[in-house]
Amino acid sequence: MANKSLKKDQLKNLLNKVAQNSQLIAPIQSDGITLFRPVKSGEGVVLEYQNSVMPPKDYFFPMSEKMFSYDTSDPSWAIKLEEGVPSRVLFGARPCDVKSILLLDKVFDAEFRDDLYLDKRNKTTIIALSCNECRHTCFCGAFGISPGEAEGADILMTDLGDRYLVEVLTEKGEKLAATCSDLLTDDDGSGAGAKEKAVAPAKEKQLNISIEGVKAKLDNMFDHPIWATESLRCMGCGTCTFVCPTCHCFDIVDFNNQSSVGYRYRCADSCQFGNFTRAAGGHQPRPSKTERIRQRFMHKLRYFVDRYGDTACVGCGRCLEKCPVNLDIAQIINKVKEVG
Amino acid sequence: MNKVTENLRQTAAKLLKDQEVEMVIGYGLGSEAVRTQPVFITSPDDVDKLVWNPFCVNGLTKYLSDLKTLSGKIAVCVKGCDSRGVFRITQDNIIPRDKVVVLGIPCAGQMSYTKLASKMDVTGQLKEVDDKGETLVIKTSNGDFTVKKSEVILDKCLKCESHNPVVADHMVGDKVSVTDTPDDYDEIKKYEAMSPEEKAKFWLSQFDRCIRCYACRNSCPGCTCRECIFDAIKPDWVGKEMNLDENELFHLTRAFHLAGRCVDCGECDRVCPMDIPIRLLNKKLLKDCKELFGMETPGSAEEGGSVLGQYRLEDPEEFM
Repeated sequence: MANKSLKKDQLKNLLNKVAQNSQLIAPIQSDGITLFRPVKSGEGVVLEYQNSVMPPKDYFFPMSEKMFSYDTSDPSWAIKLEEGVPSRVLFGARPCDVKSILLLDKVFDAEFRDDLYLDKRNKTTIIALSCNECRHTCFCGAFGISPGEAEGADILMTDLGDRYLVEVLTEKGEKLAATCSDLLTDDDGSGAGAKEKAVAPAKEKQLNISIEGVKAKLDNMFDHPIWATESLRCMGCGTCTFVCPTCHCFDIVDFNNQSSVGYRYRCADSCQFGNFTRAAGGHQPRPSKTERIRQRFMHKLRYFVDRYGDTACVGCGRCLEKCPVNLDIAQIINKVKEVG
Repeated sequence: MNKVTENLRQTAAKLLKDQEVEMVIGYGLGSEAVRTQPVFITSPDDVDKLVWNPFCVNGLTKYLSDLKTLSGKIAVCVKGCDSRGVFRITQDNIIPRDKVVVLGIPCAGQMSYTKLASKMDVTGQLKEVDDKGETLVIKTSNGDFTVKKSEVILDKCLKCESHNPVVADHMVGDKVSVTDTPDDYDEIKKYEAMSPEEKAKFWLSQFDRCIRCYACRNSCPGCTCRECIFDAIKPDWVGKEMNLDENELFHLTRAFHLAGRCVDCGECDRVCPMDIPIRLLNKKLLKDCKELFGMETPGSAEEGGSVLGQYRLEDPEEFM
C-alpha cells in the first residue's frame, strides 16, 4: 500500500475510531510513569515518551495469566480453557519493542506453538511509532534496529512535525487503515525523506555500542572470572528480567485454595531468583549470583543466537536504567570485548 | 580529586595492606556520569577505583549479609542514612560487629539519577564534580553541566535526621554542618487523615503496578531472613501470581516484617522500578512505633534491637 499521511490534529480521532472497533492499548502516564494500558479513546494517550517503563510484551506474554480452571467435583474433571482476548490494537510500540515481539515469536511460535501467546499475537494489530528522540540509555543500533523502521509492525507511524507519515506494512495493517481511510490522505512523496530527518536525532544520539565479536568471545567464557566479579554488586532482584522486552521465562503454578475448584496460571519468573533453578531434593545448579548473571548475559548474547540466530537484546535500555546497582548490559558487552 | 576520596583511598589501602580487612566495599565510577556502582576492593593496588561524589546513592550495608562468610573483616562505606543499616545487620546477628570496619562518610545529600538525566546529558564519563554551594558543576567527557542542587537532590535527603554517620570506625571526611531535620511526618499525617476508602484506593492503585521484582526486599538491610516468606514454596504463603490480591499481601507483609526494625534509609523507594512509594508504609510504622514506644529510629545505636521483639511492663496495651 502506498504511504499515507495523517494530520497531527487527527490522531485523537483516529485512536477514537480504533477504540470503537477494537480494544485499544496505548501508552499513558500513570503516577508519573509511562505504561501501556487499555484505553477507551485517544484521550490521555501520551506520545512524547521515549520508552515505557514496562515493555508492551505484557499484552502478548502477560506477567501473569490464567491457563485453565478446573472443578474436581465435576465427575468428568473437565478442564475449562480460558477465553481468548478480543481483537486488539497496540498503538505506540517503539521499533525496539516491535523487534522484541519478533524474537518472542521465535520462542512461542516454533516447534511448540504456544496457544496462549498466539491467541494474543494473532488478534493484535501493531501500530508502531518511530523514535524522534532517544533515551540516554538507548542502543538499538547495536542490534541492527533503526528508530525509523519496524519490521513486525502492521503499521508504522512517524511524527513529521505537522503530520504523521503512515506506512502500512501488512495485510492486517491494511484492514485497520481501511477503517480509518477518511482520516488518511495519500502521502505526497515527501514522507520517506522527511522520516529520515525526523529519526536522525534518535540514531545519532544513542549509545554507540557494537556487539561484533561478542558471541564468539562468549562461546569460550563460561568459566571466565568476569561473572564472579560483576555479580558481586548484583542484589539478585528481578528488575532487569521483568522490564526486559525479550525475557520470557515463566513458572507454572496451581492455585486451588484447598477446595475442589482451582486454576492453573503461569507467571513471569526470573533467572536472577534463587528458586528459579531450585530443584526437587534441594539441588541447585545455579547456587550463586555468579551463575545467575552469567545465565542472563549468556542467554541474551550467546544461547539465543545459537538457538534462533538472533540476539535476545534489542537495546531498549530499560535494564540499564532501572538496575539499582548499575549492572549495565552495554558496559558488560564492552567488558566482554576487552577481557582476555 | 576531592579530599574525601583521597582519605578514603588512603584508609582503604592501609586497611588492606595491614591485612586488617579482607575487602573494602565502596563506590566506584558508574557507566553513566551521574551514577556510581558498588565496588569490592581486595587489593591495595585497586583502591583508586574508590570514589566519593554526590552520586553515591546506594546503601552498601546489605552486602555485609551476602559476604558474611568471608573469613576476614569487611570494611564498608556508609553515609548517615545507611549507617543505621550496620546496626540493623549486627543486631540481627547476621554478622558480628567486630567483623565490620565502618568507613563513615558525612554526607550533605545525594543527587537523583532520574532527576539529573532529565536535565543533562548523562551518557559521558565523569571527570570531576565542583561543588559551588547552591550548584554543582558536573564535568564529563561530553561537556560540563551546571545543575541547581535543589532541583536534583534526592527527595529523601531534604529530610535527613543524620547527615553524619551514627557509627564510624574511621571517619573519612569532616562532619558536614547541614542541619539535621528529623522527619515531621507531615506527609504521613496527610495519609492518616484519609478515609479507609481513600487509603485503599490510593494504595491499591500503587500495588496494582508492582511487578514483584523484590528489589525493595533485596536492597533492604532489614531483610536478611534465611528463607524469605516470599520465596517459600511449601507452604506458599504469598502466591507468585502477579495480581492485586497477592501484590497487596506482599507489600503489607513486607512492611510489617520491618515494623520497629526499618532503619529508614530509603533504599526501597529508590530501587523500585515502578515508582511505588514503598517507604511511606514503613514511615507510618516508624511513626507509630516512635509514638507508642518512644523508639528512636532503629539502627541509631549499637544496643537495641526491635521494639516489637521485646517486652516491657510499661508498654502500652490498650488493645488488650
